[in-house]
Amino acid sequence: MTVEDPGVRWQRPSHLLLRARRIQTGLVTAPVALIGGLIAGTAGSAPVGLGVGLGLVVVGLLWERFLARRVAAWGYAERRDDLMVKRGVLIRRQSVIPYGRMQFIDVTAGPVERSLGLATLRMHTAAAASDARIPGLDKADAAKLRDQLATLGEAQAAGL
Amino acid sequence: MNGLPASRPPAEMASWHRLHPLSPLVRTGRHLVGLGVVVLILIFANHSSGGGGNLIGDIVVAAVVLVAGVISWLVTRWQVADGVLRIDTGLIRRDSRRFPLSQVQAIDVVQTGLARVLGLAELRLRMAGADSSGGRLACLRLADAERLREQLLSMAHAPTPTAPVGTAGAAGSPVAPSQVGGTERMLFRVRSERLAGAIILSRTGAYAAAVIVAVVLIVALTGKPSVIVPFLAFAIGVVLSVWRQFNTEFGTVVAAAPDGLRLRSGLVQTTAETIRPGRVQAVRIVEPLIWRAFGWCRLEVDVAGPRQRRENRSEGQRLRALIPVGSRAEAEQMLGELLKTPPMPSRRAPGRARWKAPLSYHFLAWAGDDQYVAAARGRVCRQTTWVPLEKVQSIRWVQGPLQRRLGLASVRLDVAGKRVTGSVQDRDVAEANEILARLPDLARAARARGLVR
Repeated sequence: MTVEDPGVRWQRPSHLLLRARRIQTGLVTAPVALIGGLIAGTAGSAPVGLGVGLGLVVVGLLWERFLARRVAAWGYAERRDDLMVKRGVLIRRQSVIPYGRMQFIDVTAGPVERSLGLATLRMHTAAAASDARIPGLDKADAAKLRDQLATLGEAQAAGL
Repeated sequence: MNGLPASRPPAEMASWHRLHPLSPLVRTGRHLVGLGVVVLILIFANHSSGGGGNLIGDIVVAAVVLVAGVISWLVTRWQVADGVLRIDTGLIRRDSRRFPLSQVQAIDVVQTGLARVLGLAELRLRMAGADSSGGRLACLRLADAERLREQLLSMAHAPTPTAPVGTAGAAGSPVAPSQVGGTERMLFRVRSERLAGAIILSRTGAYAAAVIVAVVLIVALTGKPSVIVPFLAFAIGVVLSVWRQFNTEFGTVVAAAPDGLRLRSGLVQTTAETIRPGRVQAVRIVEPLIWRAFGWCRLEVDVAGPRQRRENRSEGQRLRALIPVGSRAEAEQMLGELLKTPPMPSRRAPGRARWKAPLSYHFLAWAGDDQYVAAARGRVCRQTTWVPLEKVQSIRWVQGPLQRRLGLASVRLDVAGKRVTGSVQDRDVAEANEILARLPDLARAARARGLVR
């Protein structure tokens, strides 16, 4: 929790997000460990290759421990005039995006997310620096939220 | 054909116009000059061997470029109708572009060196979009370009309710074209010798000096001037960048006019821009270390939309300098002109921020009221940024691991574009939380006021 405000009702991404992140980590770790191990194995000896491979797997597992906290850190809150998004464990961030400032909203889903029925919602303002995305939303929720935000944005639209 | 009668009824403006017949020459002029230089070098290099074939080839290339320019002129036409500027161009792939005048951020009149000789000028429309392909009308006669700009600006003004921000004596009423131009009020004029000094003492100047010293040293040590030939292109580039900066910023004059701030600058290539009131996204005063010793600073504004000069792409993160170099007093006067009551960053960061930012702690401060937020940062190059709350796109609260240990947090205010962020650095967590809690409402109120005005 960063800024506590009793009036803010934080909503969390789907519990499936953790699984999606785990699968993604696994998909990255396995080939990296395999290739790293093979390269070390051919360059050095077989035990070295095995050691490097296992080491990379351990890194992946450690990253996995961290994932749960990262996923738990995501949250968003729809307030009356703006959307709040918070994220991050090591570097904590909390963004406030007024509905009237949203230029467009898109919903994307990578292969892993898609297989779990998840989607990422991304909000764009005229500022390149404002990064507001909510990953791991249920597909139906994401579509609903997108339409909702678009309607709110239209109602409160402001020029540059 | 290209002539624009002074008192032209809208119907006549709505007809199709061509650009000035000499415009292909001007548009390709830069390439022709570059080609000429290459030809000269080749002639010079082949002087002994007497190779004439290259010369003919280059002339053919030049002719092709010129013919392409003429064709492009033949198929290009423009029209103003229903508050929309239409530019049609393209022979094989027709390209018809519409620029709604209500979306125009600014209109510039640019004169390249060759255009100046011929009395022509280019009209550039800056739109809010992020890509740099705004509307270009190259070239028109200078007088026509200026008249057209005033007409377009007044058309662009009429439907929008935005009022000037802080330009005293310029109420936000739509201005008749004839009025514009006569009522300018001079605000700032850069002093050439100070500009030259400032550029020499800036980073660009330091690079150039280092390169020149290195070249001289190499020649002196080896005694063979030919050693530097491989580095020649690099050296020329560095010298050119100094020249370019001097060229663009030379003779900068800022004047307040009813339709916004008029900015004129340039030595060989002159530019005239009008920064429309209410379009300023952020104001920044930059004071590099060496400049501070002389009490100099630079005042830049961020206006929505891309910076269009293509040759300045390397200076992408540099903003439009209203004051390329000036005294602090001049900058503060200009600041007062741009913003009504600019707060000065006075609230220092807590002492423990020293651990996180040992150098920049010295200047870290912020201030805010219900209209603006001002934030200062940077040690070597002190930067003070003013962001109108009306323009804030999103607000971010950020806390890194070290900041968390020290009980600090930063708040960033994003404005349109990717260049400026108002950054209230390293505040006490409670204070940062309060800023984050209060700013969205203040920003919304400021926006609402802006819409009503």
